[in-house]
Amino acid sequence: MFKWKKLGKVFDPTTVVGKSWLHEYAQAPATLIFDDFVRVYFSCRPPRDENGQFTSRSAYVDLDRKDLFRVLRVADRPILELGKRGCFDEFGTYPVSVIRVANEVWAYYAGWARPASVPFNTAIGFAKSSDNGVTFQKLGDGPILSFSPDEPFILSGPKIRKFNDKYHLFYIAGQKWVMVDGQPEISHKIRVATSDDGLNWTKYGKNLIPNYWGENESQASPDVFYANGKYHMFFCGWQPETFRKTKHRTIGYASSSDLVNWIRDDNKVGISVSKGEVFDNQMLAYPHVFELDGKIYMLYLGNEVGRYGFGLAELEGELR
Amino acid sequence: MKWQKLGQIFEFSNSPFTERFVSHVQSPQALVLADRIRIYFSTRKTDETGKFLSHVQYVDYDFEFKCIIGYSERQVMPLGKIGCFDEHGIFPLSPVRVGSKVYGYTNGISRRTSVDVESGIGFATSDDDGVTFQKFGDGPLLSASLNEPFLVGDAFVREFGGQFHMFYLFGKKWSEATAEHAAERVYKIAHATSNDGITNWHRESKFIIPDKVDENECQALPTVIKIGNRYHMYFCYRHMVGFRNERGKGYRLGYAYSDDLVHWERDDENGGITLSESDWDSEMMCYPNVFACRDNIYLLYNGNHFGKEGFGIARLESEK
Repeated sequence: MFKWKKLGKVFDPTTVVGKSWLHEYAQAPATLIFDDFVRVYFSCRPPRDENGQFTSRSAYVDLDRKDLFRVLRVADRPILELGKRGCFDEFGTYPVSVIRVANEVWAYYAGWARPASVPFNTAIGFAKSSDNGVTFQKLGDGPILSFSPDEPFILSGPKIRKFNDKYHLFYIAGQKWVMVDGQPEISHKIRVATSDDGLNWTKYGKNLIPNYWGENESQASPDVFYANGKYHMFFCGWQPETFRKTKHRTIGYASSSDLVNWIRDDNKVGISVSKGEVFDNQMLAYPHVFELDGKIYMLYLGNEVGRYGFGLAELEGELR
Repeated sequence: MKWQKLGQIFEFSNSPFTERFVSHVQSPQALVLADRIRIYFSTRKTDETGKFLSHVQYVDYDFEFKCIIGYSERQVMPLGKIGCFDEHGIFPLSPVRVGSKVYGYTNGISRRTSVDVESGIGFATSDDDGVTFQKFGDGPLLSASLNEPFLVGDAFVREFGGQFHMFYLFGKKWSEATAEHAAERVYKIAHATSNDGITNWHRESKFIIPDKVDENECQALPTVIKIGNRYHMYFCYRHMVGFRNERGKGYRLGYAYSDDLVHWERDDENGGITLSESDWDSEMMCYPNVFACRDNIYLLYNGNHFGKEGFGIARLESEK
């Protein structure tokens, strides 16, 4: 089993003032490392609208590289505009994953639309930044990864990585809407697509991670990190049938030598909910693993899927 | 081109479909079989909220279009599951014979909240001469992409020169709602190619037919036939606003020709078929489908009220 030492909550979005679009939630952290600071992208929400619905935006917080609990600055404005009327990202851009490509930063994000029969639908969009990730410009109004015969809805949770000179986009694809107490709850699974240029993608077309709790379990945030000769994936999962009642999500783990065949072993994950009156005593979600100055860290969400922010843990030992 | 109108050959109110459906026989599309001509169309049911659901049905004619010799008594293909691109209607189905199978390209419709609908192109195949179709997965074959942000639909596919050519449409914009009208869509005709008619569609993501009305002209239902060395396309076009009830702004038939399937010359004046002085197609003509049968070339189309009452047919007299 890995051993993660929890260091505490890094960022609480509810303490930010003066930004109407950043009221609460700091979801799906993703890092971009600079010489003096670590930029952590996250997705947040303004208060609910007149229909009681949220519109997710994405932004960043810069943390002092020498002391990750020292917030240097929060983004002045969201990094991405919402989509035009009728577009896939009209009602939200969440989550975001970034990668440096030459002098640019490329972002892959899920865009949110509102169908009539189900609460949301998502597809994966693409944008570029030429100002070190402060603002991003979309390449087009439509998604870069969208629905196909065996991926009928909900493409989300992109995580962009480059391994062996090939871009890998880990993401989730909806399997079915499960009716729970009369409400549709989504079941989605982790998948991967590959690309030579980051724009034209080939879907692998299979679920990567075996189920652990049941056929309908939802898997999300497939965060892949290479260390010691193999690929390590930390992700999160929950059961759509009971999630609204239990408020429970947890972090899972799988490893692979080839990026498509994965062995799931949640017993190794080595991090779980805390005890006591703390921000992560109900759930852990949306893990993101990164390396900084010789140490390996995990950012993760606490209760209510990061409504009150994300925390940091440090690996003791190695990822093997 | 010169067409002789043969009149409205099918009326919903005098058909065997009145028991199972409420109205409409839209976008008639022909499949020529050994002993009959099967004409698919979309007809409507209402759901529990009173909203329409379009379903595919067919009627079989003799080769003179004098007698109905059969019709679909059951479901040709089901609508999509909850959350799928075609859960609220399939309109139209475009059939094409490929070997022993019939390929069916569908326009799937799902409702949205900020705009009326979204659409995608579905694919299904039939092994029983088109009595029933089996869908190729729950998701669309083609849907929104980077430069085709929404409303991908109305596919018409034919094999020309060893390659499958798809003529279809995608959305240019959704207008903002005003005091006079709701958000209205603008869509136009595009072109894609594939080696097998199913996979690896190469989409040019550009509009191929020049506008006649203005930049907000809506073009739909392209249908293409090769006569000699020339490709002839019919389609329907309308104004963005006022098309439902203002005279002169509703659907009419447009015409274009090409010698290479890439460059199209719009030439409505030589299309050879226009509104009647009076009668069922005096206010509107829409949803054309051109096909060859026993040395004749026919044009199926809908008339007034978007095909609420029926469809008719014309025969090509001369291609000069």
